[in-house]
Amino acid sequence: MSERAPTLVIDRASVAYGDVPVLEELDGVVHEGEAVALIGPNGAGKSTLIKALLGLVPVVRGRIEVLGTTPAQARRDVAYVPQADTLDPDFPVSVEQVVMMGRYRRIGWLRRPSAADRAEVAGALERVGLAARARDRFGTLSGGQRQRVLLARAIAAGPRMLLLDEPFNGVDAVSQHALLEAIGSLKEQGASVVVSTHDLAIAHLACDEVCLLNRHQFGFGPTGDVLTPERLRATYGGHALELRGDRVIVTQT
Amino acid sequence: MIFFEPFQLPFMARALAELVVLGALAGTVGVLVLLRRLAFVSDTLTHTVFPGVVIGHIMAGDGGVFWGALAAGVVTAVLLTLLTARRRVSEDAALAVLLTTLFAVGVVLVSRQTGFTSDLTAFLFGRVLTVTEEQLVQTAVVTVLVVALLAALRRPLLLRAFDPVGARAAGVRVGLLDLVVNVAVALVVVAAVKAVGTILVIALLIVPAAAARALSDRLVVIVPLAALLGAAAGWLGLVASYEASIGYGLRLASGATVVLVLVGLYGLAHAAAFARRRAKLDQARRRVTSEELDVLEAA
Repeated sequence: MSERAPTLVIDRASVAYGDVPVLEELDGVVHEGEAVALIGPNGAGKSTLIKALLGLVPVVRGRIEVLGTTPAQARRDVAYVPQADTLDPDFPVSVEQVVMMGRYRRIGWLRRPSAADRAEVAGALERVGLAARARDRFGTLSGGQRQRVLLARAIAAGPRMLLLDEPFNGVDAVSQHALLEAIGSLKEQGASVVVSTHDLAIAHLACDEVCLLNRHQFGFGPTGDVLTPERLRATYGGHALELRGDRVIVTQT
Repeated sequence: MIFFEPFQLPFMARALAELVVLGALAGTVGVLVLLRRLAFVSDTLTHTVFPGVVIGHIMAGDGGVFWGALAAGVVTAVLLTLLTARRRVSEDAALAVLLTTLFAVGVVLVSRQTGFTSDLTAFLFGRVLTVTEEQLVQTAVVTVLVVALLAALRRPLLLRAFDPVGARAAGVRVGLLDLVVNVAVALVVVAAVKAVGTILVIALLIVPAAAARALSDRLVVIVPLAALLGAAAGWLGLVASYEASIGYGLRLASGATVVLVLVGLYGLAHAAAFARRRAKLDQARRRVTSEELDVLEAA
């Protein structure tokens, strides 16, 4: 892996909302084509770290470098996928329109979307398996399907780095599979992926690296090395239970 | 025809032009208000423009109303943008304080004038029949400006309304965009002061957009439909007010009849949407039953 270029460098970074520190002393490196899972309980600061990677929350100490520059300057090549259920299901937009939003930066304000833009949108929907739903209203889709549409929007932007906030929460098996497939193919194309999740199984399945977070960093490195019972117990406090030696369940997220 | 005949009178023709343009403008901007859930922010703007109207009137008579309203509208649009950008939780209370304080300032100022009840009524509920050509031009200019601005910014506006964090992540300058929206709403209120007054304009902003939303899921339909409903309500409301006054000797403020027509249209839109949902459901049910029959026959 080390011959690949680093896309994300976190160097003793602390992140704060105003005077309130949320995350302290983070360290880690992610390379091209790698995926890292952010794991930790609710309120651990996973979403805040994602916002910091987008340059929306300031780094108060240390350094975060995205694609060789500051997070704010890297935004053009970074795509963000919000949690689908944070968006208004009554909003009058079609699936196609949502995915087209991923192209806005390239289209600009006034120009009509070109044939190439439309082809990218259709291709992105194809990749998440929802081409047939293009004309339906976004809110009529299931939670898992809406999450796939938001991933398609990110794919249509042609990003070098993808940030996903809890994409697997409350998502059915079919959608989970489709999301994992699409993320996998983006990695093969050289994109880096940062995904926050509660799901240790998905971290094992889809990610090369894991970052354990709860205000501080409890580990960053290859999935197999970091997801140990000791470290999970440290991250989750009393809410991690050990099962038969090397397996752990988390009782409260 | 009662729908056209009154407008041969020049003052009625001017009133019609004013209300139709205003209805279309408010309907268009109203869609944005609906999508961004800014009804209360808009209502605050309608109240905070009021002291500006009064001050403008005191300083320069009828001609000063527009400019006083404009100054107050722009200032409060900036204040509101700052206020809503900072906190989320106690926003409602802060808006309510701002709204009532400035409204009270307006009432205090107007109550010091002679003939104050008549002025107050005019400021609050409008006097569309005395609209001048200059005011028509002002409304037209505001309409062209606002519609052009919203059309140019339609993509960032849509993204910001749908997914605020995603918009910021995509590099949209959300604070600036919110200021533009608040100023656009303020401009609608300012344009409406003369015709429907500062209070009733909120209905012009909210109701056509809500009715259009009930009839369609697609923004390319909702925006023109809201503009059309706003314009139609302006026309029908004016006809109703004229008929009541000429035919029955009843003096009805046309601003209020416009709003009542709007609410009627809103009711009709919801009834139509309900009927359409029922029809679709029945259709689906019939299809299922006929499929069941096919299965039975095959067996």
